Amino acid sequence: MKEELLSVGIDLGTSTTQLIFSRLTVENMATSYTVPRMVITRKEIQYKSDIYFTPLLDQTRIDFGKVREIIEREYEKAGIQKDEIDTGAVIITGETAGKENAREVIHALSGFAGDFVVATAGPDLESVISGKGAGTDLYSKEHHLTAVNIDIGGGTSNLAVFCRGDTVDTGCLDIGGRLVKLDRETGRITYIAPKIQKIIESEGWEISVGTIADEALLKPLLVQMTEVLEQSVGLRRDNPYYEKMITNQGIHLSQEISCISFSGGVADVVYHPEKFTDPFLFGDIGVLLGRTIRESALFRNLQVIESAETIRATVVGAGSHTTEISGSTITYTKEVFPIKNLPVLKLSEEESEPAAMGDAIRKKLEWFTVEGSIQQTAVAFTGEDNPSFLRVQEYAEALLDGMEPLLRAGLPLIVVVENDMAKVLGQTMYHLLEWKREVICLDGIHLAEGEYIDIGKPIAEGCVLPVVVKTLVFSK
Amino acid sequence: MRDEEIRSMVEKILDQMLNTSTAPEPKRSEVIQTTAEALKKKEIPAESGECLEDITKTDLRRQLLVKNPADADGYLDMKAKTPARLGIGKAGARYRTATMLRVRADHAAAQDAVFSDVSEDFIKKCGFVFVKTLCKDKDEYLTRPDLGRRFPADELEVIRKTCGSHPKVLVIVGDGLSSSAIEANVEDMIPAIRQGLQMHQITLPPVLFIKYARVGAMDAVGEVTDADVICMLVGERPGLVTAESMSAYIAYKPRHGLAEAKRTVISNIHKGGTTAVEAGAHAAELIVKMLEKKASGIDLK
Repeated sequence: MKEELLSVGIDLGTSTTQLIFSRLTVENMATSYTVPRMVITRKEIQYKSDIYFTPLLDQTRIDFGKVREIIEREYEKAGIQKDEIDTGAVIITGETAGKENAREVIHALSGFAGDFVVATAGPDLESVISGKGAGTDLYSKEHHLTAVNIDIGGGTSNLAVFCRGDTVDTGCLDIGGRLVKLDRETGRITYIAPKIQKIIESEGWEISVGTIADEALLKPLLVQMTEVLEQSVGLRRDNPYYEKMITNQGIHLSQEISCISFSGGVADVVYHPEKFTDPFLFGDIGVLLGRTIRESALFRNLQVIESAETIRATVVGAGSHTTEISGSTITYTKEVFPIKNLPVLKLSEEESEPAAMGDAIRKKLEWFTVEGSIQQTAVAFTGEDNPSFLRVQEYAEALLDGMEPLLRAGLPLIVVVENDMAKVLGQTMYHLLEWKREVICLDGIHLAEGEYIDIGKPIAEGCVLPVVVKTLVFSK
Repeated sequence: MRDEEIRSMVEKILDQMLNTSTAPEPKRSEVIQTTAEALKKKEIPAESGECLEDITKTDLRRQLLVKNPADADGYLDMKAKTPARLGIGKAGARYRTATMLRVRADHAAAQDAVFSDVSEDFIKKCGFVFVKTLCKDKDEYLTRPDLGRRFPADELEVIRKTCGSHPKVLVIVGDGLSSSAIEANVEDMIPAIRQGLQMHQITLPPVLFIKYARVGAMDAVGEVTDADVICMLVGERPGLVTAESMSAYIAYKPRHGLAEAKRTVISNIHKGGTTAVEAGAHAAELIVKMLEKKASGIDLK
């Protein structure tokens, strides 16, 4: 049993918009005399688009029409029809995620790009996706170590820490190559981002919009920006601006980081400064920032890993590393897929005890009730390694009790467990419902509070479901 | 053949298998105190009447016996992926005492699983109907596989009465080579199968328990009952990883002379492999598919 999925990744970043197509191979890795175990065995990039500047209508709005044209053109160039796409993700990143129409654009675009192409947004997700696109997770797994990837884009720097292949922490900083823009020919500054403006003001530097800048004038600013990055990975503690430059959170440095990789547009300069002789090549401070990082402790004090992708890390991550597949013994009683943007109701360890489960679910379901009407929700918990049949029945009864409001609203029951127990649990729930209501029960998927899950159409003779676990965070 | 001879033969077979046991999936990893060190700390005087710690309770995947490892976490991470006895350290050119004791303990458990019987209380508790193959004792069972596939006439009569004529699906249990596997798994697996079949309006007649059973015994049951599908749960040859692994052999219209390739197998049913409840739910679905396609084994693909 071997199957291929065609996946699309689209990245709407602060400065650039890109697209890739990749092929994911799904295979049964179990022998024929055990239960099947479907695994994504191969991820192969098939097509990479040109890199476009993200089209904007003005400072606060994305030009959806132009974005759509880019996507259409690239689909055509790749010779791919929309209905050939099996899965994929559109991610809106950096400053672009803060635009007024970000939410509409991303949802419209995901629908436009394919049936099961999901909308994603949020700095933490972006960090993970770019880190995986850069191949840092794989490196940390193969070499059994802890590594950080910094994806330095136009507006933000996304950090992801991987320990032996597992994502352990993420962070995001407002450090990027296009936070100061200038005229390529004259060096006249045309834009300074608000947070950078504050640093300039408190330092009293002679840098403002209209100033003719050169490398020497900008150097102190670039040093501050680089120091913030150094501090973020634990190489220093004394930068006064670090806290202010954090987008949502920094990384917690709970374990020692031994390796570092760079991705994002600025990474090209970090790895190959000799290729960029014109300091204002892109009409911004990206080249100079890259050079400064190259000379900093980031490059000297940590072991530097060559990343698999630089400027394309995020889009490759979106296209190749967002789709997971469920466990291979699952329950779904009717084909109602794809189901998109399903919010997650996560139960804690204590709440996952069948005795406490019913009340906990009811209480949390209130969060998903807007003006009296309840939203479709996926209930997620860890589950058990080796439950007895009686125990499974207890779980099923508790879930039905807690999810009663969903039943009353006529919604199917969707349950996601981590441990391998979804087939029997789903069947037990379905049995208790006298086979009258729809039940979807998946395992092998880890979900956290605040996340969303999208579930695609069954593959591999209906044995598994592709899923995308994601966030949808738009605010700045 | 004398008892010792049989025992030494079984021992030999088990030894050969040690290298080929299949690996169940890893669960989690954390450092566990080494058994030897634990024993040292908690010496119990012989006359106290207390038991020594059961060394087979230690999860080997989380036990690292290497002294001063350069990267203990990395090592444990690798160990989590295999039940093989990696990272056991050494004392001179030999195993350490903890490793030696554990190998012998696991070996003993494997032998016990073969030589012990499924208890009568257990069979009664589960409500199974007891039948026996032509074998008159364990020794004959081990030395004469052919007899473990056939029943005497009176037992066939019991089978006929219990299962009725032309049942759609039968679930039967055979001790096979591990009685421990049966006692550890069937209580959770059979209700899961029953529930899964109920979804398709299929009900099961009472479950047979077959003593001294080889897998081929299901063919004899098929012959006499004319069942459409038989699912036989049978104890697997034990190995050093676990003595509690069970298989489900499922076949469409099993009859004498059925080719082995026509049986569908779910193996590795134990707490570290496929869990009994999930295996049951999966087996029910396979059974329904077999009834639909009128085929099993390689014909089902």
